[in-house]
Amino acid sequence: MEAVAEQKSVYLQDFQRRDRSAEPAWWETRREAAMQRFEANGFPTRKVEAWKQTRLAHVTQEHFQPAHSPGTLGSEMHNRLAVVEDAVRIVFVDGILDTERSELERLPDGLRVRSLADALGEEGGVAESHLARHADAEAHPFIALNTALSTQGVVIEVGSGAAPQQPIELVHVMTADTGSVASWPRVLIHGATSSEFTVVQRYMGADGAAYLTAPVTEIIGEANSHIGFYQYVEEGDQGAHLGVIHATLDRDAQLTGHALHAGGRTVRTDLYANLDGPGCSVNLNGLYLLKSGEFADFHTWTRHHADHCTSQQRFKGVLDGKSEAVFDGLIHVARDAQKTDAEQENRNLLLSPKALAHSNPRLEIYADDVKCGHGSTVGQLDEAAVFYLRSRGVSEDEARGILTFAFANEMLEPVSLPSLRDYEREALLSLLPGEEAVRKLL
Amino acid sequence: MALLEIRNLHAAVEGEEILRGIDLTLDTGEVHAIMGPNGSGKSTLAKVIAGDAGYEVTQGEVLVDGVDILELEPEERARAGVFMGFQYPVEIPGVSNTYFLKAAANAIRKHRGEPEVDAMQFLKHVRERMELVQMDESLLKRPVNEGFSGGEKKRNEIFHMAVLEPRLAILDETDSGLDIDALRTVAHGVNSLRSDERGFLLITHYQRLLNYIVPDKVHVMVQGRIVKSGDKQLAVELEESGYALFEEGAAA
Ligand SMILES: Nc1ncnc2c1ncn2[C@@H]1O[C@H](COP(=O)(O)OP(=O)(O)O)[C@@H](O)[C@H]1O
Ligand SMILES: [Mg+2]
Repeated sequence: MEAVAEQKSVYLQDFQRRDRSAEPAWWETRREAAMQRFEANGFPTRKVEAWKQTRLAHVTQEHFQPAHSPGTLGSEMHNRLAVVEDAVRIVFVDGILDTERSELERLPDGLRVRSLADALGEEGGVAESHLARHADAEAHPFIALNTALSTQGVVIEVGSGAAPQQPIELVHVMTADTGSVASWPRVLIHGATSSEFTVVQRYMGADGAAYLTAPVTEIIGEANSHIGFYQYVEEGDQGAHLGVIHATLDRDAQLTGHALHAGGRTVRTDLYANLDGPGCSVNLNGLYLLKSGEFADFHTWTRHHADHCTSQQRFKGVLDGKSEAVFDGLIHVARDAQKTDAEQENRNLLLSPKALAHSNPRLEIYADDVKCGHGSTVGQLDEAAVFYLRSRGVSEDEARGILTFAFANEMLEPVSLPSLRDYEREALLSLLPGEEAVRKLL
Repeated sequence: MALLEIRNLHAAVEGEEILRGIDLTLDTGEVHAIMGPNGSGKSTLAKVIAGDAGYEVTQGEVLVDGVDILELEPEERARAGVFMGFQYPVEIPGVSNTYFLKAAANAIRKHRGEPEVDAMQFLKHVRERMELVQMDESLLKRPVNEGFSGGEKKRNEIFHMAVLEPRLAILDETDSGLDIDALRTVAHGVNSLRSDERGFLLITHYQRLLNYIVPDKVHVMVQGRIVKSGDKQLAVELEESGYALFEEGAAA
């Protein structure tokens, strides 16, 4: 218990030491409340249901602090900065907004992007109305810490009826220059009525650097908005990523979300979707690809609060070597959310006997006129299928590669940005057995 | 040298002996039929020849063109020209039929030291073979066997055979469950591929197939042994008398 008490005070001290005098009073109030929430509970132990399968010791026993200045990007990292074609790019290096590499100036009509600091200065603006007002309702240690400690981030607004063609690509890079660095990016995305747009959020980090990235992205979709949201995580082999995506949707709003965990020592994304108005829909799909020594985790909370909403969740995992993954998905249907149509599916493919996948579908249904389904499997490749391929001349490695690729690639098919899909496919191919043969056949 | 020579083949599953000494010689250009009651070991024989690791060969040899293939991996046997049409073809979700065939064709070509298939030429070849077995074009793009009807699956096996042009084709009950039209197509596929360069081992439960594919020899398999061999007339006799006669003999 000593250690926990100590950690509380470490982040509290950081909080108290910082000069926040320039920040508006409303934000100060929210920050204080968040810091207190964290202090009251500390980091979750493995007795806390939502955290019982997540190994956090290497995160909670370290004191991560923001970088004073951004490190230098290696050429390999530099080459991976731009993935999404024709995107408005916003870059963070070691948790710090890089205005040089970002394109905050050249924005299409209907799109407004400001740094967190700039947005906080506006009275009665979208930040004051929404920032930390949605995600912070959750009892979540890393949301609380992010709210208390974040100084870096952006506020994205899409105007009423606007449909900017260009996607927005947020890139978070952690360099090798830094040890025990914390990155607390805060992103607020506000889609006004009938707006339509796509945001891609990518994370990457240098191997060998033990850092913590704990982003919180709040998405507010007003009535009839259509939001595409893509998350791609490939942290360095010692990097920890504990992220939250929190969406709140009004009537007839649609959110299409896609998330891929492709690397990192510990990667966890908590996805909250509140379907607050009638007729809205959420479509989430996720894929996690794990190499030996990695841990990946998706927790989802899909909450139907209104009638005639639909939600679909499909998550797939491919686990190699000694790796471990968690999928934990809740479908909550409130009493008034009649005519709900909710589906959830989680499939795991274990490529090694040492891999371990946990799959926890959870249903809480209080309405009576609903359609809810869920399915969950953990299994190996179908040996009969492997033999079938081999008996026609395909080598064992290639057969396994082809079957694994087919299993995972299904999750990339809904990615509507071709440049991102190609990039994700490369990541998938590079992790497969029989890569060369599979590649040739595409 | 015979195309296929099986000598005193014994095989077991989980310690239980299923093949109990099979001898069979098939020359190039020949078609042999193997008939026998359910559970006599026909599929086991096919799978042992194809290299299914679920079966343990405890004795004997299987020579293809004089080479003992029992030491080879399944894919190496396929590349040496062995093809098995599965009694129960496997569904391969997410892998289209064309993709599968390209992978197989390239693997076989690589083994022969030939360059990879030219995409255009391969497609042309595939189309011709589809016509041969009158298979619907839509089945090319669909994942292998997924959602195929029983008849479509069997036709697809013949289609794969026609595309890959094996030296030795073992067809395990490809005729079972087919209506007469589908049966004719399957038979047409086999008959068009019959040549002096090739041999066929047809495993069948019903004599009807042999009205369309005339075999050079018919073998009766009972309880893991070939208890009688003869010409096509034997199949007709079997249809009339049933297997009971042979089963008594085998048990003795
Ligand atoms: N994989 C297996 N595991 C256990 N028993 C098997 C297996 N394959 C075949 N057998 C047994 O071997 C015997 C022969 O089966 P099979 O070769 O399928 O016969 P056939 O094709 O002539 O109907 C049967 O008794 C069957 O139960
Ligand atoms: Mg059989």
